[in-house]
Amino acid sequence: MGGQIKSLIDTIVEKRAGGDPLLERTTKTKLMLKGINVWKYSADSEDEPEVIERLKVIAKEIGINL
Amino acid sequence: MAVKTTYSSNPQIYPAVNEIKERIGNIKSKAIIYFASSQYEPNELADTMQSAFPEALTFGCTTAGELISGAMLKNSIVVMAFDGDSISDIKAVVMKDIKRGNTVREAFRCFESHFGESMMDMNVANYAGIILVDGLSGKEEEIMDTIGDLTNVMFVGGSAGDDLKFNSTYVFAKGKAYTNAALLVLFKPAAGFSILKTQSFDVLDRTLVANKVNEAERTVLEFNGKPAVEAYAGALGVSPETADKYFMSNPVGLMMGDEPYVRSPQRVAGGKMVFYCNVLEGMELSLLKSGDIVKKTRDDLTHALEELNGASGIINFHCILRTLQLENEDKPQEYADIFTDIPTIGFSTYGEEYIGHINQTSTMLLIK
Repeated sequence: MGGQIKSLIDTIVEKRAGGDPLLERTTKTKLMLKGINVWKYSADSEDEPEVIERLKVIAKEIGINL
Repeated sequence: MAVKTTYSSNPQIYPAVNEIKERIGNIKSKAIIYFASSQYEPNELADTMQSAFPEALTFGCTTAGELISGAMLKNSIVVMAFDGDSISDIKAVVMKDIKRGNTVREAFRCFESHFGESMMDMNVANYAGIILVDGLSGKEEEIMDTIGDLTNVMFVGGSAGDDLKFNSTYVFAKGKAYTNAALLVLFKPAAGFSILKTQSFDVLDRTLVANKVNEAERTVLEFNGKPAVEAYAGALGVSPETADKYFMSNPVGLMMGDEPYVRSPQRVAGGKMVFYCNVLEGMELSLLKSGDIVKKTRDDLTHALEELNGASGIINFHCILRTLQLENEDKPQEYADIFTDIPTIGFSTYGEEYIGHINQTSTMLLIK
């Protein structure tokens, strides 16, 4: 297993931005400012439980159902 | 459509506001935004401004220097007036006692009630937000984070200043002055708008990872597993004892692609580094090197104006550290001249707001 973090980031960005490229960039910036390095994770990245939990909390804060 | 700017450097409030009123003339103002030196008594100024423009929503904040088309000023009041053809609707909400708690949700309910739309569903092309925050509150990150959670509408602005006295800063709204407060303004520009974020740094290929931080104190204890100052100095190739001399010319940036979100070191505290904005644990930051503010601003603004196809007014939230760099380089007039042809006001801030809280940046609202 791996790549969960990238998948969660992609889901948050997709649901929040709805395909708008400007909002995609804004949402990624918001994640960066919340301490999630959106460039760091790929489909092969290890599933770091702390980061996964943080992303779930962020999703909840911004009103996104994962 | 009319956007009109003027200023007064008269040190007395009543004569200054009278001058401003005369110069604004007879446009029917819907909103008046003003930035004023802390030399003016804030409550009296706010009351006098609202009394002078009773039909308008008046709002603004105190500064660490003012900007108007063609001039960078001190000890002045700069004003921008909008008529009803330039702004179709506007609402301002003051968030009080921000050090105790964050009331963005309540503020947003006021906006939703006024505009009849959910903040989450608002079309970001139709609404622009302005945020002005007590620049000594240390609450900017928290407020911007909550705003970003609850809406896609962009809020741009700055942290109020007090002419580098660091005693107290104020935001103004509807005839009153508030400290320990933030002002949110949401409006519908009649003909469109855009936002420009510009900073003037080269990105060096040296990174610092914040391993240990005190988020509440905006302090980094360790970079790259070493005391923060030692690691920063090592990355620059200078001694830790002289590191603080490089803070202004070599801040660090959280990189969004090739664009830095600048975090400026303020001072050394033992082996720690205190910043003007938050650095979170685990953040990977790039070392930056300051460049030509005038050239970069002119280039970025030219590009933004081309994309927007011109602007009728610009509000410039301009970091005090940029102002100090311009003064060191004897370039304030060159900088001010960039804005000569477009009605512009702005102020030297204690921090800039755009998605988050940033430093050594200008965030600008361009109104078409």
